[in-house]
Amino acid sequence: MLQIQNLHASVEDKTILNGVNLTINPGEVHAIMGPNGSGKSTLASILAGRDGYDISEGSATYLGEDLLEMDPEVRAAKGLFLAFQYPVEIPGVSNTYFLRAAVNAVRKQRGESDMDAMEFMKFIREKIKILDLDPSLLNRSVNEGFSGGEKKRNEIFQMAALEPKMCILDETDSGLDIDALKVVSDGVNALRSPERGFLVITHYQRLLNYIVPDYVHVLVDGRIVRSGDKTLAYELEEKGYGWIEESLAGAK
Amino acid sequence: MLITEKPHSLISNFEAVRELLGLTGPESLRAVREAALAKFAEAGIPTTRDEEFKYLPLNRLRETEYVPSYGATLSEDDLRGMPLKTLDGPCLTIVNGEFAPELSNVSGLPNGVRVRALSEALEQHEGLVMRHLGKIATHEGKLGTTNDERFTHLNTAYMAEGVYVFVAKGVMVEPTIHLRLITQADHGTIAVHPRVVIELEEGAAAKIVESYHGLGGESFTNVVHEIALGANANLEYVKSQTEGGSTIHIANQYVDQKDGSVFTSNQVAFGAAISRTDLNVFVDGEHTETSLNGAYLGQGEQIIDNHTRIDHAKPNCHSFEVYKGILDDRSVGVFNGKIFVYEDAQKTDAKQTNQALLLSANATINTKPQLEIFADDVKCTHGATVGQIRDEALFYLRSRGIPEMDARGLLVYAFAAEVLEKISIDVVREALEAELYRRLNRD
Ligand SMILES: Nc1ncnc2c1ncn2[C@@H]1O[C@H](COP(=O)(O)OP(=O)(O)O)[C@@H](O)[C@H]1O
Ligand SMILES: [Mg+2]
Repeated sequence: MLQIQNLHASVEDKTILNGVNLTINPGEVHAIMGPNGSGKSTLASILAGRDGYDISEGSATYLGEDLLEMDPEVRAAKGLFLAFQYPVEIPGVSNTYFLRAAVNAVRKQRGESDMDAMEFMKFIREKIKILDLDPSLLNRSVNEGFSGGEKKRNEIFQMAALEPKMCILDETDSGLDIDALKVVSDGVNALRSPERGFLVITHYQRLLNYIVPDYVHVLVDGRIVRSGDKTLAYELEEKGYGWIEESLAGAK
Repeated sequence: MLITEKPHSLISNFEAVRELLGLTGPESLRAVREAALAKFAEAGIPTTRDEEFKYLPLNRLRETEYVPSYGATLSEDDLRGMPLKTLDGPCLTIVNGEFAPELSNVSGLPNGVRVRALSEALEQHEGLVMRHLGKIATHEGKLGTTNDERFTHLNTAYMAEGVYVFVAKGVMVEPTIHLRLITQADHGTIAVHPRVVIELEEGAAAKIVESYHGLGGESFTNVVHEIALGANANLEYVKSQTEGGSTIHIANQYVDQKDGSVFTSNQVAFGAAISRTDLNVFVDGEHTETSLNGAYLGQGEQIIDNHTRIDHAKPNCHSFEVYKGILDDRSVGVFNGKIFVYEDAQKTDAKQTNQALLLSANATINTKPQLEIFADDVKCTHGATVGQIRDEALFYLRSRGIPEMDARGLLVYAFAAEVLEKISIDVVREALEAELYRRLNRD
């Protein structure tokens, strides 16, 4: 459902992505691991449609269409979702209002009718239970004053509410304690289905004990340098990113 | 050569109502009015050369032929569509400067709480009212080199009607007290000068919402407030200004805070052609808290001018101030924030923020924080920014499927709604949020 081919991207003449190739089919869970600064968030942002990047080469196709040509809201409507590494605080907009606007916008694009306030609240109360979020967070401004863990759970809660087809999680595990990690992973696993694809970005192997991937890729300096199954993640955990970098240097 | 200007109507009208005004309140007020009129006449209508009115073109006050205000009889039906029309609690209504009993209901208030038309209060308990009337509304003896109280004097000259709220020692008023000040000037351009006196005695607590509405015609509202907060009193005050599009609204509000009192002001200015509020808080006690919140919206050619002034005259007090405005079209915003920290006021902690969001290249904001600090052990900060829609917030909303136009609208709304959120009275906050939303969408 998602094909990334030879993607090159830079910001202000600084090259960040250096020819990324990746194909994700429905039902698959792919993990991308990599050291800090290797370009993981940049890849996620480009897929979600943040502007400001210069794409000099390569392409990304989503459900057979040119992803890079679409506005972010169109991508969302077509079922692409990014759980942000750093969720944004929006004072003055209540979480409920925001979520309802989002759900209805996405429904509209799918040709479905708006949910009314009653229907929506019922729908939302079910979803929020899954993520063990305090319902009072619904009345607060989006992410404002949320703890780090609450912000991350709120991302997955939004994902559950929007029911996307292609889910991208950018370091959703960072800043979570072990209990929160389980809750978030359960939330994600509940969404796993033969129709849905996942791209799980993480720095640590830990998350992948809970969200078990079909494929693991290692991103270094804006390029996928190694791919394998979940055992690659264990190897990385044991030997560290230095190991990959050394073996790359040795290969040269 | 001496050019003698023909006295404008704001002065010449006095002749016609002098005797009528004299009927209200103690005899001594007659002389007070005359003296105030003389002071106003001497100062005249300000020009933009006057420091405190630099960005406020008030020629219209000089040119317009105002007639003394006349009564208008309205029914609840006439108020339909008004934001904050009713809060279903105690309510006192002033129409064109006169008490409107048919639109007021202040029954059911606990003992020790009085909500009255000012004239009635002066009849029933003159002594109580005169404790504060005319005594709080002055900068005399306070710091400041550009103190300019001419519109307070003008109000004093015509002072007779208005509102009186009294909460006795230790009484906590549960329901929100709603004061409605309405102008309906279809039958001539009027000037109204209501005086609002509010006293919360020691340990008393109340929530007061004051809403200004215009139901047509051109008018000039020139209101003065005197608010006395006794030791440990707690007042949450909301001023909602949604006057009509050709109104000039000038408010001079004076607050006096004693030890341990808490004053929260939420100022909302959406209406009027020209709107100017001077909110002056004199902190005359220790361990007080003062929160001044402001949200405003300028559209078309509106001018919205907020002057705030906090006199920290005693030590160990805390003030927090945030004003946010959205300015579109050719509107003009003005913010002047004075904080005086007196020599004795050690350990003062004062924070002032003001931000404006300019939606059009022709909208302007003039900002001037003015901190004068005469104590050495204090914490005072101020920040002024011209805000922009944050790109990362816009992207976040769009990444959730919200179309760009809607996302922008939501963020513009949120910019001011963030201040409205500070209003603790749910129905009031929701009504004002809805009003902001409606105006932004130009419904
Ligand atoms: N907008 C930007 N402007 C300049 N440099 C950027 C920008 N975004 C990312 N970078 C740089 O690109 C590199 C990759 O960043 P990022 O994608 O966030 O890495 P990761 O998520 O893998 O830690 C880093 O060196 C970062 O500093
Ligand atoms: Mg990152």
